[in-house]
Amino acid sequence: MTVFKYFLKIAIKNRWIIIMYVTIFFVMTVLNSNDAVKREESFVESKLNIGIIDNCNSELSNSLRKYLEAKNNIVDTMEDEDYIKEQIFLEVADAVVIIPEDFDEKVIRREESVLVYKDDRKPQSIQIENQINKFLAFANITYENGNFALKDVAEALNESVEVHVLPSGEIEGSGINTWFKFYFNFTGYVTIALYIAVIGVVMSDFRDENIDSRRRISSKRFLEFNREIYLGQLTLASAVTITFIIASIIFMRENIWNVYFLKYVVNLIVFSFSILCLTFLINNITRNKHAITALSTVLSLGTSFISGVMVPQEILGDKVLAVAKFFPTYYFVRVNESMINSLSDIGFDIFMQLLFAVAFLLLGLIFSRKDLLVQ
Amino acid sequence: MNNIIRNCIYQGKNLFRDGSFLFWGMTYPIIMAVFFYAAFNGMMNVNIEDINIGIKENKGISNILEEIDFINVHKIDESEVSEKLESGEIDAFVDGNLNLIVKKSGINQTIIKEVVEQIKQILKLNRPVDGSEFSVSYVTGKNQEANSIVVIFYSLIAMVSTYGIYAGIATASLVQANLSNIGIRINATPLRKENFLIAGVIVSFLMNLLANAILLLFINYVLKIHLFNDIKYSAVFIILGNLFGVILGIFIGVSNKKSSNTKTLIAIAVTLLLSFFSGMMGPWIKVMLDEYIPFLNRINPVSIITNNLYRINLLGSTRSAVEGAIMLLFYCMVFLLLSYVFLRRKSYDSI
Repeated sequence: MTVFKYFLKIAIKNRWIIIMYVTIFFVMTVLNSNDAVKREESFVESKLNIGIIDNCNSELSNSLRKYLEAKNNIVDTMEDEDYIKEQIFLEVADAVVIIPEDFDEKVIRREESVLVYKDDRKPQSIQIENQINKFLAFANITYENGNFALKDVAEALNESVEVHVLPSGEIEGSGINTWFKFYFNFTGYVTIALYIAVIGVVMSDFRDENIDSRRRISSKRFLEFNREIYLGQLTLASAVTITFIIASIIFMRENIWNVYFLKYVVNLIVFSFSILCLTFLINNITRNKHAITALSTVLSLGTSFISGVMVPQEILGDKVLAVAKFFPTYYFVRVNESMINSLSDIGFDIFMQLLFAVAFLLLGLIFSRKDLLVQ
Repeated sequence: MNNIIRNCIYQGKNLFRDGSFLFWGMTYPIIMAVFFYAAFNGMMNVNIEDINIGIKENKGISNILEEIDFINVHKIDESEVSEKLESGEIDAFVDGNLNLIVKKSGINQTIIKEVVEQIKQILKLNRPVDGSEFSVSYVTGKNQEANSIVVIFYSLIAMVSTYGIYAGIATASLVQANLSNIGIRINATPLRKENFLIAGVIVSFLMNLLANAILLLFINYVLKIHLFNDIKYSAVFIILGNLFGVILGIFIGVSNKKSSNTKTLIAIAVTLLLSFFSGMMGPWIKVMLDEYIPFLNRINPVSIITNNLYRINLLGSTRSAVEGAIMLLFYCMVFLLLSYVFLRRKSYDSI
């Protein structure tokens, strides 16, 4: 098993690539795990992030501020147009409300009384405008003898309606499900990058012209050499994939029963196999280390961007998705994103990934045969 | 002068024939821009859509809801509620008791809830209402388009403007006898190292600027994302970014005796990390840093370029431009002086 041993030795020599990708992966996972909260079974009102500057400080303006504070999350802001515009632009704040000094008089005269910075193209702008208009209309209705009945307004605004959420099997959008989707989608990116980069670099060492010539005159049989090489690739690939699966169990040990965990595991194993075949194809096309590094970066980032690893598939355009269908990553993401009752529901997407694996393998064999003929 | 021009031509040819410069300097940024465009284009064009409410036929509330501009009322049968909610045809269904049925929580559902609640709240207020109170708008709106995702593109441009760092490292190794064969030959001849170094800086700077120009033209004319409204100020920051990149590259090149591969790795790590902080992997990282460590993005050169590019072009503000430009020039001066200290009077006992 000399070849196998050296395959692993060279792979370990390139450990920095592995460590770099695995670190990026786990940092992203940890950053994302803050969102993995409890299952969402009841309705949760969407709170906006708003900044409030109250230059009036009257009873009415204080009540408005309290009402808005109860309904939304408050972010720090300052009365500086450039600063506020940047907050809205960067989506730090959905809106910034400025209450002027002569606020009370303007409300009584039913004039435009508050200045609101917002993005008119977003539903959040309707929400904040509604909240302010509702509060001030209610206040004006109660205005009598120079006073607002703000207690009555607050009491009336406490009145609410019941909201029922339609029950569904797996709860879409729940924190835990989102975590698993993100985690396993992201393994797709790291798997492509790692397999192509590490296995590719190791293989380019083995296929170095001098080493290749020495192997040819040695007593090592070609079949045996290849068997050990493939065993090495499989060992390395399995180690990476199993690490990701075990890490997901460690991260979410109590919650794996709340999702269809087997779906993610089967999907990742099939995808890894497909990418291993892609690596086989690339190794038969080129032995140039720079080209392999470039391909690893471009293919991993590229397919991840267009297949929905980085942003959800719904946001991507139809044309982009049409291109993405020519890569296994698209089907891998589709399985992770799907809500299923049994494994047979993902049969098509798994089949497609296997089909890609076979296609890569066949193409790889064609290139390999061409290479042999040339030699 | 002639020497410098001749060196410029040779080094320029050399750099242009270098496959890794052609890929990482010219092609890779374009590939990244295409990926960003494919992934984020849908998120950059937000259009407000009407909110769809399902309601049982002949309910008095439908008249009130139909008067609201942004609401579409669908009269549906109670048996169709689940199906219409699942398909997304309606965002919520209002039943006879003014209670809501929704499929998920969201902004549209929250807006519907507040609108329907208002009817109950008016009853609770128990005051005479003639309807005119609710036609008044108390809000003066100032529109500012939110588009944090575009920061990624500015950050990408900022990053590639510092890509002169690689050519800077290559130039530095050309004049050092312990790093390259050409370095040995230059040090053994009466040729002046400065000429070689100056030519290297000029070539690296111009080649990277050319790569930047190709990227910007590609983004503007092929992807049709118009990022630049104020070319003059933007050009200042891109040029300063190039200058900074080349000088930092020379500093990395001359400040240590590591191999050229290690130096390239240092350069990759530095540019990638600075770009990561400036929001290239997602504007939320920049926003988070702005909140907790605001100081970091004020001194990070890639952030300085990114922030000024979007402020100048999308927010119409040049307030931080002077501070940013001075900061970048300061970095250039410091690294240039340090590089000079490392390079001067260097001699080799044996090579």
